[in-house]
Amino acid sequence: MECPHIPIIKYAQFSERLSKQVLAKRIPISGSFEFTFRCNLRCAHCYCNLPLNDQDAIEKELTTEEVFDIFDQIAEAGCLWLLLTGGEPLVRKDFLEIYTYAKKKGFLISLYTNGTLITPEMADYLIQWPPYEMEITLYGATEETYERITGIPGSFKRCQIGIDLLLGRKLPLKLKTMVMNLNCDDLWKIKEYAERLGVEFRFDSELNPRLDGSNNFNNLRLSPEEVLKLDLDDEKRTKTWRDICARLIRPFQSDKLYLCGAGVSSFHIDPYGQMSVCMLSRFQSYDLHLYSFKEVWDGYIPEHLTLKAQGDYPCGQCELISLCGRCPGWAWLENGDLEAPVEYLCQIAHLRAAAFNTKHKEVKENGDERKDAKTVPEAANTSG
Amino acid sequence: MQETTYQKDPNIVFRKIADEVILVLIKQDVGDFQSVYTLNEVAARIWELIDGERKVKEIKDKIVEEFEVTPEEAEKDLAESLQKLEKFEGIKEV
Repeated sequence: MECPHIPIIKYAQFSERLSKQVLAKRIPISGSFEFTFRCNLRCAHCYCNLPLNDQDAIEKELTTEEVFDIFDQIAEAGCLWLLLTGGEPLVRKDFLEIYTYAKKKGFLISLYTNGTLITPEMADYLIQWPPYEMEITLYGATEETYERITGIPGSFKRCQIGIDLLLGRKLPLKLKTMVMNLNCDDLWKIKEYAERLGVEFRFDSELNPRLDGSNNFNNLRLSPEEVLKLDLDDEKRTKTWRDICARLIRPFQSDKLYLCGAGVSSFHIDPYGQMSVCMLSRFQSYDLHLYSFKEVWDGYIPEHLTLKAQGDYPCGQCELISLCGRCPGWAWLENGDLEAPVEYLCQIAHLRAAAFNTKHKEVKENGDERKDAKTVPEAANTSG
Repeated sequence: MQETTYQKDPNIVFRKIADEVILVLIKQDVGDFQSVYTLNEVAARIWELIDGERKVKEIKDKIVEEFEVTPEEAEKDLAESLQKLEKFEGIKEV
């Protein structure tokens, strides 16, 4: 008989049960933590990768003890889901020490890695101390495509070995890819490969700018039309976008810049101890060498969340805002302006609405195109 | 049973988040690591009281003292909780 005092439920169910309390009480239940910006690969598109032996980066990275201290603080504050990412997190020599400390704090860990540094010993260790989930980004279905992006000969083979080592031990692995013009021809082959392995697969087709503001992403991005085509070619995505359009396209009016869970239930910490509301919104960050997590979470972030548009803000009246990837963080990186529309994402959102939302189609066919579609100005591409 | 003493498995982490109390299993050989063991108020207190030294009857007395329950109710709650915790090897007899 099930003990009435200690019911067992799946974490997904538990998360749903917690969500109302978390939002009402503003508990930082979910955090992302970049171990390092350094990486052993040189991916063409990566938003943050620095060379493996970058001395400046190494010197600035949090020490093992500083990471432990931050883990103590975020556990105390209520963090349960913790994403460990990079750069490539496994390049840090103290990776296993930090990972084990995080496990012992009781975090449910998602580990993002490129998979190329997984050894049999590492895989044995991870299955002893299993993460909640692991994700490897597979950039191509062939060596040629994969290494066209990573720039490192032999990395495709090492990634495949890493995947095999993890799956051989039944670790909870998922695969994903970032689709660009360098690998879009391989997308469905990568998906088939994941299906053959019996693992979940997802892809992202909207490439965000680099954190350093360098303008190297435009020549790698798919066109908005190509992004839409991928949605249409994938049955699951088509269904998801139809559902999103049916539920979330509606009249909208707000001058608040933050409308997501960033800073309400989630936070981000970079390798140098800079805390921000999310991975993209780094224009305002707080140094955890100077402030405690609690001081930032309770004292500074709430003010950040009240940011309102000061100027003309067409996105605040756009009924497609819920299906647009734009946020203040992305707008800052792309345009250097929190309030500016991101033209690329705007075009994608309008294409998706036209393709997946019956109501939107009818309006357009009647020649009564919505105001939002006309008021989006050309985004000033000032990044870089 | 009343004289038994239990100790916790160090590979289980007790977390209080919002109004929820849970046990997180952190090693492969302990329970189902994709599931969460949620504890009600009594079970959470029982977990806190298990320290490798207190006997079951002492824990029962504490439960009677702290919650508005009869000794019989406390004994039943305690037996059910300890059985469950033992089943997934969250606790062991000392």
